[in-house]
Amino acid sequence: MKLHEFVVRRLLLLIPVIVGVVIFTFSVAHLIPADPAATQCGDKCGIIIDYTDDGEPITAYQANRERLGMNEGVDVQFKKYVTRLFEGDWGESETYNRPVLDVVKDAAPITLEMSFFALMIAYPVGITLGILSAVRQDKMFDHVMRFFGIAFVSLPIFWFAMMLQLYFATGSAMGGVCDPIFGTDGGCFPVYGRHDTGFTYPEDGFVWFFPEGGTGFHLVDSWFVSDAKLSTIPDEWNTRWLLFKDTLLHLALPCIALGVSSAGSLLRYMRASLLEVLHEDYVRTARAKGLAESRVILVHACRNALVPIVTILGFSIGGAIGGAVLTETIFAFNGMGRVAVTSITSIDYTVIMGVTLVTSIIFLLSNLIVDITYAIIDPRVRLE
Amino acid sequence: MRSWDDGKGDRKESLRRLRQALSQSRSDLWRGWKVYRRSLLAVAGLIMVIFVTTISIFADEIAVEHPYRNLQDTEDEWVIDWEPRMKEPRSEECDWHEQKIITNTRSKFFLEEVVAESHNKVGEDNRYYKDTLSVIRIIKIEDSKGYDLNSSLLYIDPANSSILILTPELYNNSTLNLGVWVTYEFNNEAMHHSWLPDGYDVCIFGTTDTGQDLFSKVLYGSRVSLKIGFTVATLTVTIGTIVGSISGYYGGRVDEVIMRFCDIFFAVPGLILAMAFVAALGSVMSLTIPVWFGVLVPILFLVTVTQSYLLSTVLDGDRISDRTMNIVMQYRGPLLSLLCFFFFVGLLPAPAWPEFFGISESLGWRLGAALGIIVVIGAITLADRKFIQNWDFEGASERLADSFDWTNPLRYLSIRTLAIFVAIVVLFRFSNGSGDEIVLIKDFDRLWKIQAALIITGWPGYARLIRGQVLYVKEMNFVEAARSVGAPPGRIMFRHILPNAWAPLLVAFTLDIGGTILSASGLSFIGLGANPGTAEWGILVSESRDDFLYHPHLMLYPGLAIAATVLGFNLLGDGIRDVADPKNRR
Repeated sequence: MKLHEFVVRRLLLLIPVIVGVVIFTFSVAHLIPADPAATQCGDKCGIIIDYTDDGEPITAYQANRERLGMNEGVDVQFKKYVTRLFEGDWGESETYNRPVLDVVKDAAPITLEMSFFALMIAYPVGITLGILSAVRQDKMFDHVMRFFGIAFVSLPIFWFAMMLQLYFATGSAMGGVCDPIFGTDGGCFPVYGRHDTGFTYPEDGFVWFFPEGGTGFHLVDSWFVSDAKLSTIPDEWNTRWLLFKDTLLHLALPCIALGVSSAGSLLRYMRASLLEVLHEDYVRTARAKGLAESRVILVHACRNALVPIVTILGFSIGGAIGGAVLTETIFAFNGMGRVAVTSITSIDYTVIMGVTLVTSIIFLLSNLIVDITYAIIDPRVRLE
Repeated sequence: MRSWDDGKGDRKESLRRLRQALSQSRSDLWRGWKVYRRSLLAVAGLIMVIFVTTISIFADEIAVEHPYRNLQDTEDEWVIDWEPRMKEPRSEECDWHEQKIITNTRSKFFLEEVVAESHNKVGEDNRYYKDTLSVIRIIKIEDSKGYDLNSSLLYIDPANSSILILTPELYNNSTLNLGVWVTYEFNNEAMHHSWLPDGYDVCIFGTTDTGQDLFSKVLYGSRVSLKIGFTVATLTVTIGTIVGSISGYYGGRVDEVIMRFCDIFFAVPGLILAMAFVAALGSVMSLTIPVWFGVLVPILFLVTVTQSYLLSTVLDGDRISDRTMNIVMQYRGPLLSLLCFFFFVGLLPAPAWPEFFGISESLGWRLGAALGIIVVIGAITLADRKFIQNWDFEGASERLADSFDWTNPLRYLSIRTLAIFVAIVVLFRFSNGSGDEIVLIKDFDRLWKIQAALIITGWPGYARLIRGQVLYVKEMNFVEAARSVGAPPGRIMFRHILPNAWAPLLVAFTLDIGGTILSASGLSFIGLGANPGTAEWGILVSESRDDFLYHPHLMLYPGLAIAATVLGFNLLGDGIRDVADPKNRR
C-alpha cells in the first residue's frame, strides 16, 4: 500500500468513529436528568408570557421548550443538532452565558498548550531514563528505575500536583524546599493561575492581558503583544520576556504533574523496547565492527527502539487530556478539563456535548497524525 | 439402566484425571511462585496488597472512630466527635476539648456545677447523645471574644473529675454574661492506639476539619477503594472477555462492527467519558431490570446449552449441502430468530414480552412456559438437522443415554454445570416475582454510579486485548484439531482458547484494579464520586484543598494511601507478568 492510500484509508475509518461520537454525545446529553427548559426560566416558569391564536395561555416554560425544540421527536432533534453542528451553532451555554463554540475555542488552546508541554517534559525524561536503565540492566540503577517507572504511573495526579504546590510553590516557612536551595522568596513557582495578577489590565483585574484574536497559546502570544497594550501594565512587568517567563513559570508545575505518569510508562516501554533491540543481529554486527558502545546504543539500537515508542504518543495524549481535568481544577486553568467539570456539575448539557465532541476530535486527530508518522517511519505497518 | 457398579472404571479414571489436574496446577503454582519471588519489587507489591487488604478487613478493630449508618442506610456518616479541628498528627491537643459554659445567672440553663461532656455524637440507634468526660486539667479559659482569662476562675471537683465548679467571680462578673469557653485536657483513652508507645498514640494522622480522626477515615477509605477496584475490574474483565472472544473467534463482519463500536469509546479520553456517564446516570435511583428480561436471559442460556448438548449426540452430516441452498435457507437461523423477536417484542400485533409473562403470575405457569420454549427450540434444531441438513441420527439415542451417565458424578464437575445451575436458580427466583421489575441494586448511589461509569468506559480495552489473544491462539494447531473433530464454537472458546489466553488477562486484571482506584479517586476529587463526608481517599484529599498549605497532613496521608495501594497492585501485576510471560521478562 502506498502512503497516500494508507492516509486515505485511515481518514475514511475516522468517519464512522466521528459519527459514532456525535451520536454518543447526543444520547448522553439526552440521558442527563435535567430539563434545560426549566433551568432557563428558573422560578418564573409558571408566568404566562403569551397566548396562542385559540386564546390558550403559553407559560415561559412552554415557550422555552418550544424554542429549544424539545417538543419534537428525538430523530428531528438529532437532525437539527447535526445540521447546527456543521453550521457552527453549537448552542448557548447557561453557566457561561456565551455560545458554546466560543467557550470551547477559548478553552482548547489552554489544554493543548499544557498537554504539549507535559509531553515535552515526559518524553525526554522517560526516554533518557529508559535508555540508561536498559544499558545498566539488572544493576542497582536499573532496579531503582523500574521502581520509579511503576511508581510514577501509580501516583494520583491530583495528589501529586498538590504535593508539588506544597513543596515548590511555598516559602520555607510553609515547608517549601526551594528557598534554601535557589535563594528564592516564596517558592520557585507560582501556586496557581496562568499569570501573575500584574499581567491583567489594571482597570479591571479579570480581563486577561493577552490580545483578542491571538492564538490562545499564551507562550506564543506573549511574543506578539502589541506595544500599546504592553504600555498599559505596570513598568516592572512590561517586557515581552517577562510575560513569556511568567507564562512559562505558571505552566511548569501543571505540566510536571501531568507529565509524570507519561514519563513513567515511557520509561518502561523504552527500556523493554531497547532491550529487545539489543539482542538483534545488527547490534552484534555493529559491536563486532568495533564501534564504540555509546555509538552502538545511541545510533544503531535507539533508532530502532524508538519506532514503537511513537505509538505510545497516542495513549499519552489521551491520558494528558483526561488528566488535564484534574490539573486544571487544581491550578485554576480555564481549559477544557475545567469546562468539562463545571458543565457536568452544573448540568449544562450544551457545553457537555461540545466539550466531549471537541476533546474526542482532538484526540482522534492526534492519533491519526501518530499513525501516519508511524507509517512513514516503519513502512511495514502499511501492509496490514 | 446402568447400575452404580457399572461405572466404576469410568469413575476411577475421572478421579485420577482430576487428581492429576489438581497436582499439576499445584506444581505450576509452586513453580510460578519460585519465579515470582526472585523479584524484590514483585514481592514488595504482594506484601503491600496483602497489607491493604488486611487493614480493610480489620478496619473495625484498628480504627478508633467509626462511621455509623444513617436512617436511610445508604451512606457512611461519621460521628460528630469531641476532637479538636485540624490538629497536626500526634499533637497533644487531640486530648483537649473545648466547651462553652454559661455564666449568665439569669439564664435558665445556668448551673454552678457544670458537667464536662463531649459534643453531640450519634449512636447506633441514630439518636444524638453526649459522653461525660473525665477532666485531667484545665488548660485555658477564654471569654466570648477570645481573650484569655485567669484559669483559677474554674476548678475541677475533687470528688468527681467530670464536674467543673464555677467560682463566684466568674458568674458575678457582668462582662462575662455571654459565656466563656473552657479548654481542658480529658481522659481520652478510647482514642488512643494501644499498639503505639505513649506520646505517639493519639490521632497519629491528625484530625480533619470537622474534628474526625483522619487515621480512622483513611483506614475505612481502603474498604471503599478496594471494593470499587475489585467490582469494576471483575465486571470489566467479564464483559470484555465475552465481547472480545466473540469478536476474535467469529471475525469478519461481527468483528468489524464490535471493533468500530469500541473505537467510539476509545475516541473520548477516559476520564471525560467517565464523567459524562456519571452525569448521564444521574437520574438512575435504583438499578432494575424488567421481569421478562430477567427471565429471558437464563432461558436463552439454557436453550443454547440444550441445543449444543443435543447436537453433540448427533453425527455431523455433509456440510456441502449448506452452500447449495438458496439464500433464504442459508440464513434460516437468523431469520427465524428475527421473526421470533418481532413476534414477542410486539412490533407485530401479537402479545408483547411483558404481557406474555404477565398473563399469569404463578410460578408454575412461567416455569412451564420457559421449559416449553427450551423444548420447542431444541426440537426445531433437531428437526432442522434431520430434515434439511440430512444429518445422521443413527445411534443418537444410545449416545444420549450414554451421556446421562449418572453413575459418574465426577463428569459433571465443570463450569458449565455450575452455569446451568445458576441459570436455573435465577430463572426460578425471577419467575417468582409479582411486580413488573426486578431490583438488582436497590440504592444506586453515587459510588455505584462511578463504578458503573468506569465499567462502561473500561470494557472496550479488555475486548481489544482478548480479541488479540484469541486471534493469536486461534491459529494454533490444537484449536484446528479441536475444530476438526467437530467441537462446537463455545467449547473451543472456553476449553481451548481462553485457558491459553488467561495470562495477559490476569495481568490486566491486576493492573486494572490499581487503575480503577486511581480513576475513582480522581472522580471523587472533582466532586463526581462519593458523597462529601464519606471516608473515601479522593474525597479526603479534595476536602483538604481549602487549606492544605497550612495543614498538609490532611492531604498527605489519604494521598499516600492511594499511591501505596495503586503501587502495590501495579507491582503485583508486573510480577505476575514476569511469571506468566517469561519472554517479556527483562
